[in-house]
Amino acid sequence: MKVSLTWLQKYFDMPLPSTDAIADAFTFHAFEIEEMKGDLMDVKVLPNRAADCLSHRGLAKELSAILDAPLKQDPLRDPLPEFPQTDALMVEIEDSKKCLRYMGALVKGVKVGPSPAWLREALEAVGQRSINNVVDATNYVMLNIGQPLHAFDAAKLAQHDGRYAIGVRSAKEGEKITTLSGEEYELSPSMQLITDAHADTPIALAGVKGGKAAELTSDTIDIVVESANFDGTLTRRAAQALRLFTDASLRFQNRPSPELAAYGMRDVLALITLIAGGEVAGVVDAYPTRPEQDRTVAVSHARIDSLLGRSFTIAEVEEIFSRLGLDTSIMNDTFTVTPPFERTDLTLPEDLIEEVGRIAGYDTVPATELPPLSGAPNQARYRGIEKMKDHLVEQGFIEVSTQSFAKKGDIVLANPLDKSMPALRTSLDENMKMAIEAAKHYAPLVLAPGQKPKLFEIGTVFAKDGEKLAVKTSEPVVDLPSIEDDNAYVPVRYELGAYRPFSVYPFVVRDISMWITDSDEARGAVFALFAEHGTGLLQQVQLLDQFTNTEGRQSLAFRLIFQSFERTLTDDEVNALMAGITAALVAKGHEVR
Amino acid sequence: MNELGRLHPISVAVREMADIFGRMGFGVAYGPELEDDWHNFTALNVPEDHPARDMQDTFWVKDRPGSVLRTHATSVTMRALEEMAKTGAVEKRMINPGKVFRNEATDMTHEAQFYQLDGFAVGPTGSVTLAHLKGTFDRFYREYFGPNTKVRFRPSFFGFTEPSVEIDVWFEAPGKEGRWLETAGAGMLHPNVLRNAGLDPEKVQGFAFGGGLERLLMVKYGIPDVRLFHSGDIRFTYAFEEKKV
Repeated sequence: MKVSLTWLQKYFDMPLPSTDAIADAFTFHAFEIEEMKGDLMDVKVLPNRAADCLSHRGLAKELSAILDAPLKQDPLRDPLPEFPQTDALMVEIEDSKKCLRYMGALVKGVKVGPSPAWLREALEAVGQRSINNVVDATNYVMLNIGQPLHAFDAAKLAQHDGRYAIGVRSAKEGEKITTLSGEEYELSPSMQLITDAHADTPIALAGVKGGKAAELTSDTIDIVVESANFDGTLTRRAAQALRLFTDASLRFQNRPSPELAAYGMRDVLALITLIAGGEVAGVVDAYPTRPEQDRTVAVSHARIDSLLGRSFTIAEVEEIFSRLGLDTSIMNDTFTVTPPFERTDLTLPEDLIEEVGRIAGYDTVPATELPPLSGAPNQARYRGIEKMKDHLVEQGFIEVSTQSFAKKGDIVLANPLDKSMPALRTSLDENMKMAIEAAKHYAPLVLAPGQKPKLFEIGTVFAKDGEKLAVKTSEPVVDLPSIEDDNAYVPVRYELGAYRPFSVYPFVVRDISMWITDSDEARGAVFALFAEHGTGLLQQVQLLDQFTNTEGRQSLAFRLIFQSFERTLTDDEVNALMAGITAALVAKGHEVR
Repeated sequence: MNELGRLHPISVAVREMADIFGRMGFGVAYGPELEDDWHNFTALNVPEDHPARDMQDTFWVKDRPGSVLRTHATSVTMRALEEMAKTGAVEKRMINPGKVFRNEATDMTHEAQFYQLDGFAVGPTGSVTLAHLKGTFDRFYREYFGPNTKVRFRPSFFGFTEPSVEIDVWFEAPGKEGRWLETAGAGMLHPNVLRNAGLDPEKVQGFAFGGGLERLLMVKYGIPDVRLFHSGDIRFTYAFEEKKV
């Protein structure tokens, strides 16, 4: 949720602290901050709070609780007006499980035009584009209190006996709608439409986007304003299927309280009539099943302490609930909280405990070590597996890890990432074949001269009758035991140094042997000379062989490995390097054979 | 010449972790990689219509509805909790190292298959608290990363824990400035999860945690690309100076 700090400030009398302090307040007591840029802050609202916090009001309320700074005014606590009634508009909801509430308002005589500067600036501050005063009013109220809103041009709706009719129904198979942005979408019955019920034609994709058919223009005079609540799952699936994620769909998919619709309607009608003129002819409220009001959640003082592992006083807890605006009564050390309608997340004692923990700050929770347990913990299976690994490492095997996906297998995925690897491996054989081929090739780079690469993998394989842990070695092992649980085995422990990057480019191997002048000094000089004339491309020097002949001359044989981190070396290049090395050796009086 | 072979860095890491957690009373548990919907989602309080169950996040098995490649090793925690209920145990601590799967495009920091270290500690009411979670990780990271390590909690959300926290660790890589790293998600086991396992949330409580293993190793050793881990390439196994402890 992108918030403007200027916008948040409107909720407070006291000047807000620095941006960093606000960011810390959110980060350690509520939500992560994704981005900060001047006046803009992108707050990563957690899924359980998206019902009330995808709004400036919601985040201002959070900040108010965290900073213990009262809100100047809270639009969700201001009483609702009596909306005027009207016969000029009807609303028909086909399925009240899919549309929990639909409020429609008829506003007559508006003048659609540019928005006042403050409104344009407020929207632009959070990255929104100003469109016209009426549309901007709907967006502003949504961003302010979280209720998605929409306005239709009434003149584009059919009238029967002087009445407009709004319908909410499932789309028909293959039914089409052209959205405000001009794209046409083909729909399926799992999607919900807003229709001009008299004509039975779609005017919006419910909870997602408005339709072209009833778009506002500069000629619009009468409008129908929508403040509704659509089922979260239905809206999310529709947005996903059409790849049409909007501010509205994002909010509905998080199931804001349908109570919020009335507050949205109140605020948007006030703003529209203020900046676009007109008069509210009346409001229709189709609200088939009002959710239970005055839900209460109770938690005992002891339970709070015992879950968080620190002690709070009754007064501390009471103060935290009060800062959060939670109506609380205390009896026999039990807090009974009546969450406000927008806090749909508070349903269990543990939810209240989380509120106490995070507002107090998790930094106030001590780090307490667990008391010791009697007896050795059960690591038998793990130790048995590691014993097998140690056994193989001892015999010179190198452990590799490979992918679980395979070209063919008994278990096939419904939605593979790589279509050429749609199955789960039934054995480790295929991967081992590839790994050992590669290992043979890379052996000169990482293994000692003459060391034969031998690999093993221990991993899960998947057969029709179930999965099991398989052991695969690149060559047969005599008397390889099976993996047995062994809680007494102590796995060998290693310490690893920092990662040393390796080049992905091919390497070139050259062997060189020589008679050297008989001294240890000369040997050291040979290594230095390799380094100097290898010009950074000589990755490794391995001593293959050395002996002293009967005449006392010393022979050395080396394997030189050339490789670049940036490109593939050519033969010519390596030949030139070898020529340079040879010349330098000769110049020092050694005899290259 | 009888040269020794080598362990994969993940094996080296799991051994170190199993040792540290072992000294705090944690056993090691395993469970199936091909899971059922119950242990991976439903029992863990992930609702039927949760986005995580969508095809773009989770690998499902063809013609086997409800069969899923586990998206977290928390499924192993669920099985261990069920086992507790069956045997009447009221106290248990386990870590679950294992491969998990996510249906997401791969790049330098994302793999469709990776390892997680999940785990939990459960005990009679009041005996395993959020403070113990902090104490456990405080010690774990000090032993794993070094004495200058600190941990902090931030609020978070997971279906299977309430309260939920993000565990950050202050890590000073050799020769680099220290920084906070997000390393694991954790929290107090949700009462619905305990109930789904057949345990009584009035009688037992505990914490659960889980985090990516490769990510920790990438930070600890400076490994640039997560795709190196399961490439089967011995150059990766040998890309570290190795010392027997």
